[in-house]
Amino acid sequence: MKKIKLTINGREKEVIADDNMVLLDLLRDDLKLTGAKQSCDRKGQCGACTVIVNKKATLSCLTKVSRLEGAKVITVEGLGTSENPHLLQKAFCLAGAIQCGFCTPGMIMAAKALLDENLNPTDEEIKYALRRNLCRCTGYKKIIEAVQLAASFMRGEINPDDITPKPTDPPRGVSHIRPSAMAKACGTANFTADIDMPGAAEIAMVLSPYAHAEIKGIDFSEAEKVHGWIGGMTAKDIKGTNRIKMAVEDRPLLCEDKVHCLGAPVAIIVAETRAQALEAAEKVKVEYNILPTLSSPEEAMAEGAPRVHPDIPNICFEQPLIKGDIESGWKEATTVVEDHFTTQIVHQAPLEPENSVAFMEGEGEDAELVVIGRSINIHLHKANIQDALGFDSVRYEEAYSGGNFGQKLEISSEGFTAAAALHFNRAVRYTPSLYESMLISSKRHAYDMKFKIGANADGKIVALDMDLVADNGAYNSAGHKFILRALHMLTSAYYVPNIHVASKLVYTNNPYGSAARGAGPPQVHFALESAVEMLAKKCGIDPLEFRRRNSLKTGQTKATGHVVVDVWPFPEQCEDMKPLWERAKKERDAAQNGTVKRGIGLGAAAFGIGFPGDQASSAVEIGEDDIVTIYAAAADPGEGTDSMMTQLAGKVLGLPLDRIRAQLRSTGNTSPAGPASGSRVTLMIGGATVDALQKLRKAMDEAGGKTFKALTDAGKPTRCIGKRNTVDSAPLDPKTGQGPSPETDVMSIQLAEVEVDTTTGEVKIVKMSSTVDSGPIINPNNFTGQMEGGMDMGVGYALREIYVAGETKDWRTLKFPTFKTSFDSEVVTRETPRKEGTLGSTGVGEMAMLSTAPAVINAIEDACGARITELPATPERVLAALKAAGKA
Amino acid sequence: MSELSANERLRERVLRTIAGQEVYCDWEGFLWDPDDWNEELAVAFAAESGIAELSEEQWQVIHFVRDYYEKNLRAPLNKELRKGTGLSLLTLDAMFPEGLRLGARKVAGLPNPKVCT
Repeated sequence: MKKIKLTINGREKEVIADDNMVLLDLLRDDLKLTGAKQSCDRKGQCGACTVIVNKKATLSCLTKVSRLEGAKVITVEGLGTSENPHLLQKAFCLAGAIQCGFCTPGMIMAAKALLDENLNPTDEEIKYALRRNLCRCTGYKKIIEAVQLAASFMRGEINPDDITPKPTDPPRGVSHIRPSAMAKACGTANFTADIDMPGAAEIAMVLSPYAHAEIKGIDFSEAEKVHGWIGGMTAKDIKGTNRIKMAVEDRPLLCEDKVHCLGAPVAIIVAETRAQALEAAEKVKVEYNILPTLSSPEEAMAEGAPRVHPDIPNICFEQPLIKGDIESGWKEATTVVEDHFTTQIVHQAPLEPENSVAFMEGEGEDAELVVIGRSINIHLHKANIQDALGFDSVRYEEAYSGGNFGQKLEISSEGFTAAAALHFNRAVRYTPSLYESMLISSKRHAYDMKFKIGANADGKIVALDMDLVADNGAYNSAGHKFILRALHMLTSAYYVPNIHVASKLVYTNNPYGSAARGAGPPQVHFALESAVEMLAKKCGIDPLEFRRRNSLKTGQTKATGHVVVDVWPFPEQCEDMKPLWERAKKERDAAQNGTVKRGIGLGAAAFGIGFPGDQASSAVEIGEDDIVTIYAAAADPGEGTDSMMTQLAGKVLGLPLDRIRAQLRSTGNTSPAGPASGSRVTLMIGGATVDALQKLRKAMDEAGGKTFKALTDAGKPTRCIGKRNTVDSAPLDPKTGQGPSPETDVMSIQLAEVEVDTTTGEVKIVKMSSTVDSGPIINPNNFTGQMEGGMDMGVGYALREIYVAGETKDWRTLKFPTFKTSFDSEVVTRETPRKEGTLGSTGVGEMAMLSTAPAVINAIEDACGARITELPATPERVLAALKAAGKA
Repeated sequence: MSELSANERLRERVLRTIAGQEVYCDWEGFLWDPDDWNEELAVAFAAESGIAELSEEQWQVIHFVRDYYEKNLRAPLNKELRKGTGLSLLTLDAMFPEGLRLGARKVAGLPNPKVCT
């Protein structure tokens, strides 16, 4: 121990610190300054904990308090407040640099250290100064812009007030600051780990070290001796179904007699402190009988393979798709491309670990189990917990949530905290490590696709054949939905008359697959858009012209036979892309030099939103203070749902935005609205909200005023509810895969410009450009932010990221995108109103990465002749493909 | 579970004839569209769950749940239900063989709490 005097945010502090105590823990645990975040298990990999120490940006997770005698520390809380923010905080809000906000305090502090030294930084200097800070949401572009904007404020060139949208400015088409942005910029937005819960017990989990094994016994006897021990739980202690059911009841909250994948949860350990819980968990003895591991669908489908789940075949779902007459299609085809494409398992990688807290509120029959966590579907997850635990009175609240990208469609840590809080009647907290967070969460499915596509003499696609096998991992959950999504969007932007598909979903002992940005379509788009590019070139037609020529038209059918009734502005997208494409060609031709080869490639996408059977509900209410509140279960893990909702309300009601607020996070005051996934929030939950708002507007018009008093004096309602249901609800035919598809589509074309070092196989993204149309844009910053972040994620999918259970343990082994890997990008927008849209608008979050990977892969082939069919395109694979193409 | 049923169980909904009416239900027997509900369906759902005849008290609960849903588009919280009906949770739960959350909701035509679209 050592006595240390230091200054924190201008106040002198004297602390007696353990030699190993790091500054981050002092700030967060002892001083309750929770602006600095913890993501990377204190490895100095993420920068979310950055503070300023003696004028230098410092990773507080690596900084020993014992070495800080006399130090001057500034945290984000010392920079400014929501009422009186620092110019950097204002700039981050105005530039749209804050999405989930988990990285924001660290980014701002690193930027402050830079600007304190250099008020005229170049973009490269900003990238260097912030090089240790990670962001999963933005693609870094808007963060660089925010730092430049702050510098211009500080230089006195721009007055922030002059560029800050006013509440009375038009509600749609203006980048109003997100309602939640300033709290995130100031470090006062509570993420789950920031919630102050004095006296809460801590959880540690016993996770399986084996991918497939029987549990023969669990022994707590040694663990019970650890000081601070409160108790241990196994499946036998759970009173309900012990199953987390999305569609199939195959995922146990705690494993019963068998573990199905590495990291499967076996027991919950609760102790007074986290260190004690971890120590006790280490001492739990679990006797396993190790079973053969099925590490691929091929192994799982082999004759005599053991079943992952004894009562369900390993091939747990099959869906054919038959459209037209495939044989006549092949007869008509004069040019055919055939290849075998595979995609990898990927961790969605939200920056925030899978934190959760739970506690009992009230007594007796009023006792309610309150769970706070990272859900993007609070009502479903409440129901999951109710079923699993056999306890009805549950409230779920979404905390501020550090990214999602599909991962939070599934319950993870909140199942454990809920079970422990109920069982021990204690407030509990689970703060898993990053590695544990990876082990206990879902992943993007790996797809194996044998793909064949043919065009006729006119360059029209006439036949498509695909044999798809998806690795479901250990649990189905809702895996079949992601096969169906892939089939709904199989032909993307194109009209293809003759199709034959066989698809299988297969259990293995790999991490279980579930939602991941795009969820199904990105995998199939990789195969489709790679094959389309190959087919265009084989036909001798420019790839952009080939895509335009094959565009679906309103009135034609998708792969599912669904007749498109909404607008289909894909040919216009091709026109928008033309000048970018022509410029890129010229620059490529001019850049060819030595062993580093320049290439360009395209990827198109049409993404369906508003699936058959989708439902959402919402409510709006005007209070006596004349503020209109939206009550909707619309999670906002970074996309800007609060902006969308409040701006739509401003538009419908004709009110300034300072008279509108949104309550989106609790099952206690909202109704079920479905998940924040499938790019459906604007269309479905926004649609339900607009329905409610239009009723309120009608009441206001009839009352002749927009105040609470005007409405009540006129006997009009002050609260209105709204619904949004999709028209169709029939599933695809199980034998033909024909049936209704989503109501509307968003579309884009992406252009990748890359450089390939043919000696190392390294690929550098020079620029990504995208044309995009999803209807009228509600908030331009939010919109382009989704596109930029999506392209960054898509590039990671194309070039670097692959999740291997037990080997991918942190952000470095995940190959998380960094400032160094970031790239220039351009977004060209078109705003064709959708007939089925919410005031014409739809969503854009997933389409943003749908065609990035094929665009990059096509560009690599254009650069050097190496055709990559297996993602990711690592340097080794690029070199192997070069060799295979005889270009090495 | 056969392979066919494993596949079939993943389908979204099924068309059923209940009380002489054709309605879509999900695979756990909840009405697909809550607006399809009427008292004849409530009687039929109750019979399926083992209630031969709905008592006045059970109708009181069903109507409370139904009215609450129509105003709020969600089921009442247990404390709201208790306050609204004047009955204890234990009593309420015992009134429906499948329990309050699943049984009463199903009979009152509310959507499946596990709707995950």
